[in-house]
Amino acid sequence: MAVHQFHQGALRILRPHYLDDSGQVCYVVVNPGGAYLGADLYVMDVEVADGAKLLLTTQSATKIYRTPGSFAEQRMRLRLGERSQLELAPDQVIAYREASYRQNTHITVHPTSSLVMSEVITPGWSPDGASFRYEELRLRTEIHVESGGNSGLLALDNLLIRPPQHYVTGMGFMDGFSHVGSLIAVDGRVDQELADELHALAGGHDAYTGVSLTATVDGISGLVLRSLSNSTGELNRLLGTCSALLRQRWHGTAPLNLRKY
Amino acid sequence: MPNTPTSPAPYQLALQQLCDSALPTGAFAHSLGFESYIDRGLVRDEQSFGVWLSAFVGQQLTYSDALAIRFLYEGDALPELDSLLSAQLLPRQLREASIKMGGRLLEIAAEIFPSPDLAAYRELVSSGRAAGHQPLAFAVVARSLGVPLAETLAAYLFAAVTSLTQNAVRAIPLGQNAGQRLLRKAADDVAAAACRAGQLDRSDFGAVSPGLEISQMRHERQRARMFMS
Repeated sequence: MAVHQFHQGALRILRPHYLDDSGQVCYVVVNPGGAYLGADLYVMDVEVADGAKLLLTTQSATKIYRTPGSFAEQRMRLRLGERSQLELAPDQVIAYREASYRQNTHITVHPTSSLVMSEVITPGWSPDGASFRYEELRLRTEIHVESGGNSGLLALDNLLIRPPQHYVTGMGFMDGFSHVGSLIAVDGRVDQELADELHALAGGHDAYTGVSLTATVDGISGLVLRSLSNSTGELNRLLGTCSALLRQRWHGTAPLNLRKY
Repeated sequence: MPNTPTSPAPYQLALQQLCDSALPTGAFAHSLGFESYIDRGLVRDEQSFGVWLSAFVGQQLTYSDALAIRFLYEGDALPELDSLLSAQLLPRQLREASIKMGGRLLEIAAEIFPSPDLAAYRELVSSGRAAGHQPLAFAVVARSLGVPLAETLAAYLFAAVTSLTQNAVRAIPLGQNAGQRLLRKAADDVAAAACRAGQLDRSDFGAVSPGLEISQMRHERQRARMFMS
């Protein structure tokens, strides 16, 4: 149940609603009219109370326009209480020509909570049709595990793409692909068998995918799935299939259907 | 006529021993992901391995290993740096390789280069408060020997590049002279990486490219393989 919500400035959030009878409340963040611009700062603070279930998504893609001499930034802090669930499923990030964007996500979970987050980054868009014309994308996610006053860092996922400075499409960087997708799951039930299962599931898609377990902190581990492809749709299908398996396995709920488009 | 000074820096020979590929840390057993590229046919000769090696030095070794070494020299707390590496090395085999080689290095160094800082790191590891990562173990020993940061970085990076190249010579396989040509070329990347590591900041730590990471992850499930990572 939503107990408190607040927004101000260009960032808005839709009235919470329920997609099914699982008790999972769905919040949709409405990206600012148009796109993120230079020196924009968007701050989001989310608290998932003990036992609560939240799905957080966006209304449309996160677009970043030109940010000359500056950058647009999103800072998000999320805290998950005991036995709480969070599914973070934003639309893809699209950076336009000469855009710089920094996204910092700081998540604190409890050893009994359950987190699934996914993200897709596109090569951007420019009027001449060429891709990778943006300046810089930085998406940095930290996941901490906290219980009884102790806190430990479980995972640090830092994605930095700077087309002017990196040979982005080449071997050892994007390996010839244009899109990158990630899924991170943190839950007491994550194990090697599940990682292998997701790897097998990803094999059915037109994408180059790796899955691996994170370190273990306070008895809880995570898994990271990282995938390269040439299409947003393919990555969305892949990540959707994986999160559907986790929803079914862990919470007994049907695949997500956001009916946004 | 004055004599020409011929005495080496006090740490010179110690650093050479620390970087010698004969130092038994087990580096011969790790490809750190390039074996996946061999499996896909993308790394298959001197030229293509050179491309991979250059990306590995510019990404993994710069944004993870070299930055961790620099932060240690700048006084960051060892337990925090150790947990930062465990959290950032997302591919399991890469994390395990760092801890395995780090553990061997801590063990060997305790016998040949003992110091209070090294003993403290070993104590953190044996009590379960740290994992014991290779770049940090190397940095703790080098710093205790009085090696300046710039030299430690260059030495560590070139030692890593040497092991990887020797492994590629065996695995692809390449001729011994090709290996030496690759190393000579990699020297420029190593110098650039050491310099670059000095300019990055804390928010850059761990920014490794998706291609390298995915290949390191996929190695876990590769059928035929010579290497542990």
